[in-house]
Amino acid sequence: MRVGVYFCRCGPGLDGQVSGKIDPGAVRGAVESLPDVAYFEVVDFACADGGQARILEHLAAHRPDRVVIAACSPRQHEDTFRRVCAQAGINPYLMQLVNIREHVAWVIEDPERAVDKAIDQIRAGTARVLHQEPLEAAELDICPDALVIGAGPAGLKAAMTLAAAGRGVTLVERGPILGGLPVRFEEIFPTMECAPCLLEPVLGEILHGELPGPIDIRLTSTVTAIKGFLGNFDVTIATSPRHISVDACVGCGMCIEECPTSVPNALNLNRTTRKAVDFELFGGLPNVPVLDEAACTRFTEGSDCTACLDCCPVPGAVLFDEVATATEKKVGAIVVAIGATIYDLSQVTRLGYGRHPDIVSSWDVERLLAANGPTGGELLTADGRKPRTIAIVHCAGSLDADHVPYCSAICCQTAFKDAHLVESKAPGTQIVSFTRTVVAPGKEAVDLYRHAFDGPHAVERRYHHPGDVEVRVDAAGGLAVSHATGAGEPEVTEVDMVLLLAPMVAGPGPRELAGVLDVPTDATGFFAEHNARSDATRSPVRGIFIAGTCQSPMDIQGAMTQGTAAAGHALSELVAGRTLRVDPATATVAPDRCSGCRTCVPVCPYQAIDVDGWTLKASVNSVLCAGCGTCVAACPSGAIAGHHFTDDAMHAEIEAVLHA
Amino acid sequence: MTGTFEPTIVGFLCNWCSYAGADKAGAAGMPYPPNLRTIRVMCTGRIDAQFVLKAFAEGADGVLILGCHPGDCHYKEQNYRALGRHRLLLRVLEQHGIERQRCRFDFVSAAEAAEFAAVVGEMTADIRQLGPVNLRAVGADAQ
Ligand SMILES: Cc1cc2nc3c(=O)[nH]c(=O)nc-3n(C[C@H](O)[C@H](O)[C@H](O)COP(=O)(O)OP(=O)(O)OC[C@H]3O[C@@H](n4cnc5c(N)ncnc54)[C@H](O)[C@@H]3O)c2cc1C
Ligand code: FES
Repeated sequence: MRVGVYFCRCGPGLDGQVSGKIDPGAVRGAVESLPDVAYFEVVDFACADGGQARILEHLAAHRPDRVVIAACSPRQHEDTFRRVCAQAGINPYLMQLVNIREHVAWVIEDPERAVDKAIDQIRAGTARVLHQEPLEAAELDICPDALVIGAGPAGLKAAMTLAAAGRGVTLVERGPILGGLPVRFEEIFPTMECAPCLLEPVLGEILHGELPGPIDIRLTSTVTAIKGFLGNFDVTIATSPRHISVDACVGCGMCIEECPTSVPNALNLNRTTRKAVDFELFGGLPNVPVLDEAACTRFTEGSDCTACLDCCPVPGAVLFDEVATATEKKVGAIVVAIGATIYDLSQVTRLGYGRHPDIVSSWDVERLLAANGPTGGELLTADGRKPRTIAIVHCAGSLDADHVPYCSAICCQTAFKDAHLVESKAPGTQIVSFTRTVVAPGKEAVDLYRHAFDGPHAVERRYHHPGDVEVRVDAAGGLAVSHATGAGEPEVTEVDMVLLLAPMVAGPGPRELAGVLDVPTDATGFFAEHNARSDATRSPVRGIFIAGTCQSPMDIQGAMTQGTAAAGHALSELVAGRTLRVDPATATVAPDRCSGCRTCVPVCPYQAIDVDGWTLKASVNSVLCAGCGTCVAACPSGAIAGHHFTDDAMHAEIEAVLHA
Repeated sequence: MTGTFEPTIVGFLCNWCSYAGADKAGAAGMPYPPNLRTIRVMCTGRIDAQFVLKAFAEGADGVLILGCHPGDCHYKEQNYRALGRHRLLLRVLEQHGIERQRCRFDFVSAAEAAEFAAVVGEMTADIRQLGPVNLRAVGADAQ
């Protein structure tokens, strides 16, 4: 074999960045005497246009079998010189770039030792290049469509943006309605807009609009399996039965009236009931009820009740026989927007949550104040009284090393909103706010902030340590908040209701889905980002994006912005008609050597390896394989070859770097 | 003490962090001892125990394995696997009389130019102290 070696001086003569330390004349003899080296050619700026042209011309004239370029880091110019080789008609994988600049000339002070090291590294590169094989990069067709998981503000915005660009979108939502948390709220900070109204235009577009891209909405569904990578994901969507056809039902609600079975309605703090067939939420979209298998006597007792079917005016709307299904879809990108939840306040025992029905969380109070909530929007205690005094406790469990260590960013403004709602719904109610560190950033928060503390019935009390505030329940059911001020006995305030601002936490959702998506979560339980500052909506997995509160606590504005950003990433990475280049430096299995031991299967981070059930031979999906080489090192039979980093090439390199 | 002994150290560097860290040491002009010879792998997960044994058999006085910090591996968590293999490898090496200081595993990020230079400096100093390796027993193994 004939190896052509090019030495880049990285500058003219002996003044180059490389030749200033390593005189090519001192290297030439040693390199030329290596077996298989056909020539040693010196260039000035190999990477510059002129240098590339010169190498190209030289390669074309001398047609070596293998090429070694001793220059700078392959991290900088491997692609450059691979292109030059390709232009010269030499397979780009037959070139080895040896780093004599960053790893030698710039770090070795003694020129003699630098020459020695450069020779060793070039010798190693020359030895390994003999074992390099021509490889062809595959160009893969991509699917430009996207999957969006979660139909809250973030997911809806992502779906809408993608569909507006003409992409097919599959929108998978676990619940029976769209909109995420805010459709359950009455009004939203910072401007006290009506929450359902804010989402109405987005929901309208998605459900009935004429967006250029089709949106396939899968309610009562989630994603249970994902294989593949950017441009080529195969996803499995599991749908549980709703028993009411979303397509056929007209939403008249007659079935609800006729249904004989009532159960407590958890969404309304179990203070009202719901029917076994009922709307998830009055006003929720799509306006189609759900038949709850956990409540309907056909399912709980095996009864033959047909009340809903009998009264339904639309044939085919009530589907008792509907069963759970799993469907497969191909998509190119995935936006994960599954939201978050609030901390379980019963863990913070000093605050009494769960011990008295008038100690409520910020989530409970959204429902207590909602027009479609248990009291039709009137603020009443559990026994139906109008409260005279309400305590609002900020940081209930947040900024607390024993509970939620971080500040969840939205609670203070939620508290201001709640104070505002209380005041407008029950004017004259005394509101005592126990604040710790008030967080109300941005250009819009200030009005609600002022309002919360400046009103005639508002009192603000500051506390410093999580344990300074306690909620007491006396034997007669009276409520009081005790506040240790640091001076003397704690101040005790008797109240009729306590509202606890619970921090937002990831909940089990991200961790559960992490197993399916192979996207990591971080120590807080939220999804980990590719880079928390520069790429917060990108997960570490190519082609999977994260948006909204499953990434970090944030408000609706943040969630919607992230949804748009995630869609933007998907749009720029997957352009219909463009192909995706797959690096050929992947792993392959030699079936005759494979013993079917499966050692390789779990070490692969991309589930790229399958073992055939019949032949018991492993095979690597080159599309999924990213070329890390872990399976190659793990295979006890030496059956897996890591292209471009084969055992032969590596052993030759190790041997040659050590032997003159 | 072998005052004039200059060890040869083979460094296996993962492309995404440690090789980049070494590049950065170069770009920042941070000198380190000339004793290191570098071999690039895409990830520490590719490093077969045979590579290390081979390096010792061929006369290396030390082997340095550098990868991404925990949680930063470009291929998710292969650096943990490499770390596990390294632990086993140390036992094998010790059975052959190769001191554990001769085979060092460490994490160096793409940003840690100074750390890279420091690790190479420390390792070189450690092995200067130890002197040349006794390779009789290993030679047979790696073939
Ligand atoms: C009590 C409270 C009050 C708030 N008040 C305000 C306010 O006034 N103003 C404001 O700006 N912000 C407010 N927020 C914050 C706001 O709710 C969030 O910013 C917003 O809901 C985040 O939107 P999202 O789309 O990321 O998540 P979500 O709204 O939580 O939506 C996530 C969706 O994903 C679905 N999902 C979950 N898991 C899966 C799965 N595995 N498969 C399929 N689907 C799944 C869920 O069912 C849900 O529909 C409040 C939050 C709380 C807790
Ligand atoms: S890529 Fe650096 S250790 Fe895996």
